[in-house]
Amino acid sequence: MGLKQRAFDWLDLRLGVRDILQQNLTHYLLPRNINVWYTLGATLLVLFSLQFITGIFLLVYYIPNTEQAFASVQRIMNDIPYGWLVRFLHATGSNVVILVLFLHMLSTLYMAAYKRPREITWIFGFLIFLVSLAMSLTGYLLPWSQLSYWATTVATESAGATPVIGEAMIHFLRGGPAVGEFTLGRFFALHVMGLPLIFALLAGGHLFCVRRIGVSRPPFGPDYLPEAPGTSFHHTDHSGGIPFFPNYVVKDLMVIAFFLTLLAAGAFFAPQLSLPPEAFEPADPFRTPPGIKPEWYFLAAYQLLRILPNEFLGLVVQGGAVAFLLFLPFIDRGPERRPGRRPLFLGLFIVGLAGFLILTVWGYLS
Amino acid sequence: MTSEPSLTSRRKMLATSVGVIGAALAALTVWPFWRFLNPQAGSAQAQTVTIDRSQIEVGAAHFFEFRGHAAVLVQPAPGQFAAFSAVCTHLGCIVTWRAQEQIFFCPCHAGRFSPDGRVVGGPPPRPLPSYPVTVTGDQIRIG
Repeated sequence: MGLKQRAFDWLDLRLGVRDILQQNLTHYLLPRNINVWYTLGATLLVLFSLQFITGIFLLVYYIPNTEQAFASVQRIMNDIPYGWLVRFLHATGSNVVILVLFLHMLSTLYMAAYKRPREITWIFGFLIFLVSLAMSLTGYLLPWSQLSYWATTVATESAGATPVIGEAMIHFLRGGPAVGEFTLGRFFALHVMGLPLIFALLAGGHLFCVRRIGVSRPPFGPDYLPEAPGTSFHHTDHSGGIPFFPNYVVKDLMVIAFFLTLLAAGAFFAPQLSLPPEAFEPADPFRTPPGIKPEWYFLAAYQLLRILPNEFLGLVVQGGAVAFLLFLPFIDRGPERRPGRRPLFLGLFIVGLAGFLILTVWGYLS
Repeated sequence: MTSEPSLTSRRKMLATSVGVIGAALAALTVWPFWRFLNPQAGSAQAQTVTIDRSQIEVGAAHFFEFRGHAAVLVQPAPGQFAAFSAVCTHLGCIVTWRAQEQIFFCPCHAGRFSPDGRVVGGPPPRPLPSYPVTVTGDQIRIG
């Protein structure tokens, strides 16, 4: 008997690993008509892991202090071997993560996978999306460049449109009347510790729900029929389906490789998409650079605030959209999941997506 | 029946190829991160330090940083210079210069070294590593 076999038997005797592997890999069956959109969860796990790894590496040399933050980032870029690579991977990675989060959410919406009994899975997932946006926003300030300083000033300023408590909210977000050392301190603490902890809890909850309830069946094909609402807990199994390993893992790996290639292409050939020239100037609280704009995923929100007659209305519309999406499983409660048989939903989906894209492009061009 | 050995060998070949390519990719991925955590590796070996002659009197020692470690320059006799690592070869403490006795003394376990770096007492197993010294006018170059 080989050493590998003996080590495996030793572990199996103590932890039953053979059983765990069978249940979660070879005997874990997925619907036969499963499609490529189901790979985005695994892709996000890989991309988030890369963000955590590169983030920890950047922490080795980063100094969270307004006097030294910019210089420490420049040192990472210019003096530390492969520091540019680690930073570009982290900065480009955050954009790829948000892109894949959008795609994951859109596919879940389109296939109505948020519906009963997966409401809690959706809520965990949507909160992960919001926490990821918060991680991007807080991380943006840390290099203490002109771009980060003024983007954070604009982002925190919009909270001031809230009636009565607007000023107090700005003060609380910034730790003072203007973006300064206290803002950097709290954003740093949130970015490297607070938000990742919340993220880990949410991701754990999301994965637990996915595994506990079972993967939803894509609502396509002539055999598909909506599930009747059950009165007791029921794990959705897919007897006669395809095994997760090796069949679906290969598809997962293909999509992961695609997005890693996209990330590498961005980091090596187009880092300026994540880090424009203003990102290489130290923050100057007395000089606002012309045409400062938020990251692409905040452009729609930014443009909406600009085109509505008052900012408070903009905040209400955005808050309403976020609340609508968060509680969607409790609003859209019918069992039908086939997009073709849900014209109202499909219309809203297309209009919402088109609106988001138009506002994003408009925000970019204006 | 006849196809089984060929199938096994093809699987083995495929697994080996995937393993080799995977290991190469893993090494390629790990290397930048390894270098990121070792910023001074390699470059420090070429480093030299120049010290003004006025900074060191006869019979005295001058401590400085050299290639990431503490080092010491001594002038036991007029115009005679020697440079050593100031890290004790016993457990890595930094030696002091005792001008009265003309010895290097380690405060941790009483290791003693002569002005030319040899062990003259205590537990150190090896002499202090020495560095080349070049004197040009008033400048002393180490390394």
